[in-house]
Amino acid sequence: MSIEVRGLSFGYKDFRLSIERLRLENRKVTSIVGRNGAGKSTFLKCLAGVVPVPKQSLFLDGRDLASLRVGERARLISYVPQELTLALNYSVLDFVLMGRAAFISPFSVPSREDLQTAGEALHFVGLEGFEKRDFSQLSSGERRLVLIARTMAQSAEILLLDEPTTFLDPKHEIEVMNLCRKLALDKGKTVIVTLHNLDMAVKYSDAMIFMKKGKVVAFGKPDEVLNADLLEQVYDIPMAIVPYNGKKIILR
Amino acid sequence: MRNKKAKILTALLFLLPFLLTMASLSIGRFHIPPKDMGRTIIQAISPSAGPKVSTAYRDILFRIRLPRLLLALMAGAALSISGASLQALFKNPLVNEYILGISFGAAFGAALSLVFLGKNFPAQIAAFVFALGAVLAVLLISGRSESHTVSLLLTGVIVSAFFQALLSLVEFFANPYALQSLFFWLLGSLSLATWKDLSISLPIMAVGVVALIMMRWRLNVLSLSEEEAKSMGVHVRREKLLVILLTSMITAAATAVAGVIGWIGLIVPHLVRMMVGADNRKVIPLSAALGASVLIIADDITRVAATFEIPIGILTSIIGIPFFIILLRRSRKVWL
Amino acid sequence: MSPRKKARAVLILFSLALAGHPVFSFQSSGKSSPQITDSLGRNVVLPARADKVLSLQPEITRIVIALGAGERLVGVDYFILKHDHLFPIIFPEGRKLPAVSNTPEDMNFEMVMKLGPDIIFISPTELQMVDSLQGKVQRPVVALASMGSFDKLLEEIKLVGRILGREERAAELVNDFLSRIEAVRKSVSSIPPGKKPRVYMSFWGSLTRTPVTYEPVDTAGGINCAAGILPAYLGTIATIVQLEQIVTWQPDVFLVQGNYPPRERPVTVEDVLLDKRFGSLPAVRNKKVFYTFGYWYWWDPAEVLVETLYLARLFYPEVAAPVSLETEGNEIFKKYYGIEGGFSSLCRVLECGRWDAE
Repeated sequence: MSIEVRGLSFGYKDFRLSIERLRLENRKVTSIVGRNGAGKSTFLKCLAGVVPVPKQSLFLDGRDLASLRVGERARLISYVPQELTLALNYSVLDFVLMGRAAFISPFSVPSREDLQTAGEALHFVGLEGFEKRDFSQLSSGERRLVLIARTMAQSAEILLLDEPTTFLDPKHEIEVMNLCRKLALDKGKTVIVTLHNLDMAVKYSDAMIFMKKGKVVAFGKPDEVLNADLLEQVYDIPMAIVPYNGKKIILR
Repeated sequence: MRNKKAKILTALLFLLPFLLTMASLSIGRFHIPPKDMGRTIIQAISPSAGPKVSTAYRDILFRIRLPRLLLALMAGAALSISGASLQALFKNPLVNEYILGISFGAAFGAALSLVFLGKNFPAQIAAFVFALGAVLAVLLISGRSESHTVSLLLTGVIVSAFFQALLSLVEFFANPYALQSLFFWLLGSLSLATWKDLSISLPIMAVGVVALIMMRWRLNVLSLSEEEAKSMGVHVRREKLLVILLTSMITAAATAVAGVIGWIGLIVPHLVRMMVGADNRKVIPLSAALGASVLIIADDITRVAATFEIPIGILTSIIGIPFFIILLRRSRKVWL
Repeated sequence: MSPRKKARAVLILFSLALAGHPVFSFQSSGKSSPQITDSLGRNVVLPARADKVLSLQPEITRIVIALGAGERLVGVDYFILKHDHLFPIIFPEGRKLPAVSNTPEDMNFEMVMKLGPDIIFISPTELQMVDSLQGKVQRPVVALASMGSFDKLLEEIKLVGRILGREERAAELVNDFLSRIEAVRKSVSSIPPGKKPRVYMSFWGSLTRTPVTYEPVDTAGGINCAAGILPAYLGTIATIVQLEQIVTWQPDVFLVQGNYPPRERPVTVEDVLLDKRFGSLPAVRNKKVFYTFGYWYWWDPAEVLVETLYLARLFYPEVAAPVSLETEGNEIFKKYYGIEGGFSSLCRVLECGRWDAE
């Protein structure tokens, strides 16, 4: 399942996303980094099909993303938004079950298979036993995990996560990023995340996309593309990369 | 243990409307001795069984009480399930089934029919048509806007106000004697329902209620943000429209025959959510069941309390509000 | 000027100002201004002369005409002009009168000022409106309605007679009314209570709306099934009963309001006779379902008189009547309105010929 961008141009009134050519690796974790307003979330939304995608710009295995029907696309790509607006206090299991929507007709209820898939997803993220808890009783970190479980229940090949680690404490940050790697390695999913935390991105991604003002400035393996000049260009402040214990630490 | 208790409660709630209907057949100002009740029912099926009972019993049971009870059952279910569905759809606990302009659209249609067509045309049809017309107006005006939910609600308020103004205009110019029946109907009444009225409105309500019950799980998904639901493979606009049309259809059918009965569509779904939680797989069908029971009980009270008709909207709030307060104190967190 | 002179000047100016104010009228000619108490319990000071009358209460309008003061009317209300079929019969010139309001809430104050009435009659629907009207136009406003009582109706006739200076005529009409009512009462007095027909009335366009009091029925020797029930709104006389209650009552006679023009009747006699829910009623089984006039913005004195006679004949066909209803009706209308064949005209409009009584 390869994702290819060929001349994506999408914009709002004051902002334009413009990506010439990009080929994303499958079964890998790719992180998109950049300043606020660089277009990270917008790019993700385009991939997810949540905003109207221009034709002939995004291709999935050669097929035009814009031509896919809603149900088809949902089985291939799943998306977790940045903000969670939940109106009703569903139980954890009910929440995860919603991810099965693409497989259930509007007039049916979830089957035993659906329930099983949801249960497995919860297990994978480490929240088995949480089924009957109300959503409001969960901590931020647990809510994120439940969201990821829901995305998993959707059984799509490609998972798009918009800033999954923002607002999480360091422990949960690591937990979520570990989960992303596990999804790519064990389940063979293609995981694309947008991140603010550069260290995390460097440590956990197989590939990184640096964006600035709606354009892709650099793309490649962290080891290959990362350098101080690039960082200064993307973030507009001087940064230094310091090796420490075999890892790279980024200093501002 | 909580699970078993919940299961018993659920079963009871489903059974209640039917038990109440049967019991309510024997309630009323006209006293029918119990054994004559049995005989009347049997003789309806096989006319020659046993000595003939008074025709009054037959008229009372099958022409006055039964249609009224069936209307209470169906309208109670329809209004409650509509309220519950729209609350989930709009993610708003203050929404009721009349929010898209149905009550005033129906009232205006009925008034128009009474004034210009008089006896020649049953006002219920005009009421139904204009109620749906109001909803269509709301859908067309709010169109493809960015925050669809908010604009639907706002447009609903505006369209309601518009029809209310038109209604006042009709009232202004019409012969006050011609519009008398309208005012009572506006307060809600199950009293004048005939089999003829019900023959059209009951099937419409039944179809809509069943369809909404079938969509009960889908409403969980539709209560998420439009972005999320779309990314999960749901045709959000299309399915939202379907729910709106179904709820409008059954609310209009109920209102056309029984008038405007307030509070049921707002309170019953909340009562159910407080008891069983937010999952619409349970909330939707239980709202229908509880709504039916509440309306039957309210109607029973109306029928025995006095010789005159107490507008049923008043009773539904009198019954509903204390229950609401009791449950509010010991309820779980449902709305976020 | 010295302080004392100043004070006196101020005092004189002050009294002159007060004397000019209409409420504090010191221009009394020795006798006190006449006052009456209206239906709302308000004391209203009457004008010296009532040459221009604005009547916004149809019942009073009809009384004004019956008192022979129709030409004093400068304005009427919307109902009597647009929806009253009796008005053009008893006062054809009335068609040219302007309609000042539809309901008490939508008074056209400027029009009232322009018409310059000496007195205004209004329906006692809303106390605040009545007082505010009087305050705004600075003319006496009298709120009157019979509220479905013969006594009050007669009081009204006397009161309006006094206001218009037609006391003699008023007395004439009141005496005539009372004597005819007495005659009816006497003719049915010998009927024992057990034999009196139990009557149910469907008024106001609905099977279930019925008046808790209807004197014509009582006077004619009938028993109102709905007597004593709580009215739908306090201060009115209508109530809404359950359909089942009507069947429980098993009325002997079922009356339907006939004052609606024939093609606009929401409830008809045929409807009742064909309604399967009423199959067990004695009224339906014996085909004793009839039209009667009923209220039409309260009463018309002549019409309600004839209605009482009509009902007596309906309930007790065996009690002989000296003349036919039509003859007696026309006689009454001639006495009250000075027109020929008034009752016959009304019957034509309402198609009384099909009312199944003579």
